[in-house]
Amino acid sequence: MTASESRIRVWDLPTRLFHWVLAALVVFSFTTGKIGGDWMAWHLRSGYAVLALLGFRIAWGFVGSETARFTRFLRGPRAALAYARQTLAGRHPFIAGHNPLGGWMIVAMLAALAFQTGTGLFADDQIATQGPLAVKVSNDTVTRMSSLHSIGEWVVVALAALHVIAIAVYRAAWNLRLAGPMLHGRAPAPPGTSEPARRPAWLALLLLAASAIAVYVLVEIVPMR
Amino acid sequence: MKKAAAIAALALAATATALPALAQQMKPEDQIHLRQSTMALIGYNFGTLAAMAQEKRPYDKAEAERAAAILPPLAALPGRFFGEGTDEGGHTKAKPEIWKNMDDFKKKLEAMQHQVAMLPQAAGDLATLKKQVGATGKACKSCHDDYKAK
Repeated sequence: MTASESRIRVWDLPTRLFHWVLAALVVFSFTTGKIGGDWMAWHLRSGYAVLALLGFRIAWGFVGSETARFTRFLRGPRAALAYARQTLAGRHPFIAGHNPLGGWMIVAMLAALAFQTGTGLFADDQIATQGPLAVKVSNDTVTRMSSLHSIGEWVVVALAALHVIAIAVYRAAWNLRLAGPMLHGRAPAPPGTSEPARRPAWLALLLLAASAIAVYVLVEIVPMR
Repeated sequence: MKKAAAIAALALAATATALPALAQQMKPEDQIHLRQSTMALIGYNFGTLAAMAQEKRPYDKAEAERAAAILPPLAALPGRFFGEGTDEGGHTKAKPEIWKNMDDFKKKLEAMQHQVAMLPQAAGDLATLKKQVGATGKACKSCHDDYKAK
């Protein structure tokens, strides 16, 4: 940060909490799935929590704070390419929120996690654990979903690795810190940059509650019917 | 009396080693059919215990003890049916790695049998059952992870 720069708030609290809780749950899901045994109960619970968070994040992408909105950070391939070229050339235009490449990372990660939790609902590990909706579909479908679930695992791992590597490269190559702002919310910006608009936290809480209820119905009520 | 017991033990040991050899002479498709059938029965009985351990169905001591008692003899069976030529056919999910790492595969089978052997004494009480179902599930998994296609 140079003297001419000031810090502005780019990430709201709901988005930051979402990010870190999700990151922790992804690690936890992976670990419990690998250990198996008693931990599978927690693997399922963790998946339900991820599903609820995804529901919240998608809703927040439409009605949430400015930097969380899909319409703001989803740019076409040409913009992404132009951004990549600029970045590699060492020029870094200030962008409050996701850059045009990072935006696609968000969509890829959300899609991969939706795929992972979605297939998990119908999966069966052929030992002692079934996804809550496995009883509702044919065994052929369960088999297919289970194998997709074990492939999707590595897609998530690959995306998470790419994400972490990208952050390390930004830091090492261009001295740009991306993790800090996701922690405290503020990033250095050129003077006069206006702060992106934030939506109230209670709205986020409401959306999360609605999403959690929907997940509860899906995993606890639907299987019984 | 001691002599009779020794002879009985010898005879038992002889059949225990002879039977797998006999199984190896079976047609590969019969072997695959038998290992899948025995696995299905293991799955049914272990699934009964797992459902109680996970509180998906109420703990029923008699039913738990029945399922736990039948599992050790069942668990001794599938390992016999991985003879030559059984790596293909019958929609088998057995990975070819089994025949490349037969020693490791057998070690994992034995580890599973070791855990399953402790189920009968654990089944009389829900708390001990939970623990042993978890340990057994891990033993199943360590073999499935390496040797069962997903």
